[in-house]
Amino acid sequence: MSQFDAIIIGGGVNGLIAGTLLGRRGKNVCIIEKSNRFGGMASYSVDGGPTLAHSLYNLSPRVLSDIGIDPQHPVLSGKPVSTVSLSEDGRHIVFKNEGVFWSEGAKHPESDAWTDLTQQLITYGGLLRQLAEAPPPGGQKAILSRGGLNEFLRLAKLGIGLKKLGKPEMRRFLQVVLSNVHDIVLDDLPEGSVAGMLAADAIWGSATGPRSPGTVFNLIYRLGHGGNITQPAGGMSALTDLMVEAAQKAGCVLMPETEVFRILLDDDTVSGVATNDGRTISTPIVLSNLAPKLTSLMTGHSIFDIETTRQFRNIRARGTAAKVNLRLKDSSPLPGLPDELADERLIYAPSVGYVEAAFNPAKYRQMSKAPVIEAFKMQTADGASWLSTIVQYAPSDLEGGWTETAKEQLAEITVETLSRALPGLGDQIAGKQVITPDQIESATGAPGGHWHHAEMSLDQLLTLRPANGMSRYSMGPKGLFQCGAATHPGGDVMGLAGRNAALAALEAQP
Amino acid sequence: MKVENRYDVIVAGAGHNGLTAAAYLARAGMRVLVVEKNDWIGGAAVSRSLHEGWTYSNCSYVCSLLRREIARDLELPKYGLQVIPYEGGASFTRDGDYFAYYSDHNALKREMARHSAKDADAYRGYSRSIMRQCRFIRPFLLRDAPDPASLHPRDLGELAYLVKKANGLGSRELGETLKFWTMSIGDFLDEHFENDLIKAHLAGSGIIGTGLGVYSPGTAYVLLHHYMGDIDGGIGAWGFARGGMGAISNAIAASFKEHGGTIHTGSGVEKILSKDGRVEGVALEDGKVYYAPVVASNMDIKRTVLHHIDAAELPDEFTKAVRNFKIRGSSAKLNIALDRFPNFPAAPEHTSFLRGDLHVSQSLLELEKAYDDWKVGRWSEKPYIDMLIPSQIDPTMAPTGAHMMTVFVQYAPYDIEVDGVRSAENWDEKQRNAIAETVLDQMSVACPDIRERVVHMEVRSPLEIEREVGLTEGNIFQGELTFDQLFFNRPVPGWSQYDLPIKGLYLCGSSAHPGGGVMGAPGANAARAILRRETRHGRMKGYAA
Repeated sequence: MSQFDAIIIGGGVNGLIAGTLLGRRGKNVCIIEKSNRFGGMASYSVDGGPTLAHSLYNLSPRVLSDIGIDPQHPVLSGKPVSTVSLSEDGRHIVFKNEGVFWSEGAKHPESDAWTDLTQQLITYGGLLRQLAEAPPPGGQKAILSRGGLNEFLRLAKLGIGLKKLGKPEMRRFLQVVLSNVHDIVLDDLPEGSVAGMLAADAIWGSATGPRSPGTVFNLIYRLGHGGNITQPAGGMSALTDLMVEAAQKAGCVLMPETEVFRILLDDDTVSGVATNDGRTISTPIVLSNLAPKLTSLMTGHSIFDIETTRQFRNIRARGTAAKVNLRLKDSSPLPGLPDELADERLIYAPSVGYVEAAFNPAKYRQMSKAPVIEAFKMQTADGASWLSTIVQYAPSDLEGGWTETAKEQLAEITVETLSRALPGLGDQIAGKQVITPDQIESATGAPGGHWHHAEMSLDQLLTLRPANGMSRYSMGPKGLFQCGAATHPGGDVMGLAGRNAALAALEAQP
Repeated sequence: MKVENRYDVIVAGAGHNGLTAAAYLARAGMRVLVVEKNDWIGGAAVSRSLHEGWTYSNCSYVCSLLRREIARDLELPKYGLQVIPYEGGASFTRDGDYFAYYSDHNALKREMARHSAKDADAYRGYSRSIMRQCRFIRPFLLRDAPDPASLHPRDLGELAYLVKKANGLGSRELGETLKFWTMSIGDFLDEHFENDLIKAHLAGSGIIGTGLGVYSPGTAYVLLHHYMGDIDGGIGAWGFARGGMGAISNAIAASFKEHGGTIHTGSGVEKILSKDGRVEGVALEDGKVYYAPVVASNMDIKRTVLHHIDAAELPDEFTKAVRNFKIRGSSAKLNIALDRFPNFPAAPEHTSFLRGDLHVSQSLLELEKAYDDWKVGRWSEKPYIDMLIPSQIDPTMAPTGAHMMTVFVQYAPYDIEVDGVRSAENWDEKQRNAIAETVLDQMSVACPDIRERVVHMEVRSPLEIEREVGLTEGNIFQGELTFDQLFFNRPVPGWSQYDLPIKGLYLCGSSAHPGGGVMGAPGANAARAILRRETRHGRMKGYAA
């Protein structure tokens, strides 16, 4: 029987990070992954096609330094990409750090308003990042303990940060952060593609529309690390490979193709895990990268009070984003798109109203007939050219289920929608891959195939994430922690949930 | 300058909040004038007779939120206010059944069990949550919202009160409270109940008057806003004011006049006069000018600031914030004179629930779809309707044997779309008739003979409500009840304590904290702020002080 100081269940990004951090702090760690591949949702792909995640915008530099990855590593020094909002009339709009431009180069009249609003949200994101880099406030620690003092100092720092904004900005922050993206954007910008781009960036991966209160928070979250988008050199799997390497360097034992079916307890204390192949591995600490409901299946419901298990069940996680990969006949440029924009991030979201209308059908378990789309043209390792797209909304609980016909319909809708701005795209397509949220769920375990394992709505954030009374990573029995995206601060390829969880585990059991 | 033109305070608008502020100030010994554009008083708490023999509560139609502290301070019962609770309500199904809501817990449980045994059990937990939230929020209604950016002792004091109250909940309960405040009523109900009809019945209060759907975060709070009232201490109970909702305004006005107050009707404020950042008085539409060092506006903030004050007198940032304040028209109203009681085939004879609020929405998704229609400028194909027949309890509303019916309709956009153009001007006779037909169709689910019973019908689109009452877009709350517009954010950040950037100018309507409903709290709170800032003794007396 083998023995470890800590076991991580689930080798996704957060699991790898949690394991690496513990390893670097001298723990003897084992990371168990049920599939034959580490990296979870970030690098999941079908038949060598494009990965589920296809760009980086929120990876935490603090996490990188904590797990010993050089932020200047060649994999991470991919070229920053601009966003291009595709337009039916061929006058696409390019969003750069310097402002907003028409595709032919002239400055867009809404450039300044867009820049001001974005900068403001980035500033707020910077403030909120301080909250993201630690367990959420509200722990039951004595103020004079080390943990209590740290928390107090952190909140004080946030308070000072807010104060530094000045009174009017501080007040505006407290209003904006609770608002919906439809109102905030249309207060400052006319309805149209520029506003539509911000609306789209506020709803990726979530079951909300621009009018839903709280969506500004999603946008701020996305901009929490400055909002720059890059593509790792070699793709997302190069990044997850780098993380795997870091884990190995930190001494972690990686155990792929192993499924944990039970977390073993002894007197309400974690004693180990039992795997499907009949092994028992003992450990005093388990960090689960899975959503709370799945974790509680591994411990058995009986160790939680009924109120808690009901809470697990009520965590909302309804995935609404599908991945549609369109294989292109060759690497020739996309029709209707200037050459210099070929490698940029393309989105189709012509207005805020369009995004809201796309959301409507998802509420009734239908797919959008006119969806919001994010696309990257890319090459996979085998040299094939793809248009890798995220299509929203495609709800996990589609009425009638995600049959082959439904998937085919979604692929057609995707091509049709993109063809409005890229006429003739259909002729370039040689094959299609549709990865629906339910498929993401069965491949990765993420409930509803939701990017964040739990909806990032105001009632499931901070102290309420993933559930009231369970926000500080420890979960029920002594030694059991959760480290996945369902915990504070949430998902994206950010890694803070894993890092915070590892630190919480170290604090509880040094 | 003639002395009769001078007052200590002028209140612009004789809505129930304006009258409440005026009555408190008159009782404190100030000379107060209330000016009103209509020939009658009451704003949206009004009773009018538009068809001989019948009295309509034209706008607001039921009472619960009116703070009892205010009723006591202003001695409203003495001036004729009598609120009679009604018990229960029902949602009718399209297949001839109903779900009845009884105020008696056991009766309700039995009725719930008829639809779902599980839900009957779940109701206890649900009502406990709601009651706890009500208890938590009620003390804040008659207090100022602290400015979180201010270090003023009063703000710190209010903030400390908030923290103390929140701490008193314990961390678990505080978490539940935060969650409740930020979630949607749809999600909240889904957590408790399984039956569509029961959920649809309970969800209505979460969307009345708002530009949100049942699955929009924040609608659980809107529900609370409709539950936190009481009648004679029965928290969450609703009732009819005898003589219609105008009885409330009339009682406040009588109390005001008895303490020396003056009301000038028939001419609205044209302009709020100010000089060097200090308010001077008001100029009326009929050319009269009244002077006072203090003016309190009962109009909503958009109307007050954007229509009646020189933009040059105000900081641009403030004007911009006001322009961005969201007041969205989403409700319409039918007031109907009935020749006799309509037939409700599903209802048992002599049942009490017909005296309550009646609905025909079948599920949360049907309600959500009704919202989707509104978003694109159409009234809902299957609107949420809240219909009551108050004349069953209050016989003063209709001739003997005849009845009066009030039907609240959600959603009806202010700027409806006709031929691709969205505009409030599209609300003409044709559109009003068309929405009435939609609503009558919807009502026929409960009472199929409704069309034969109609003697007279008043159809009020958001545009009529705006034009007559003065509420921007016809929004019943003088501003959306969303997080970004509540508490210290109401009406705009930095100005949540009733004063405005012109010295001596105050806001006393429901654009201010704690928001809309026939509550009186903004009026009383504004009076307290005025007395504190503008008088030497500075204190308001009474339960609401």
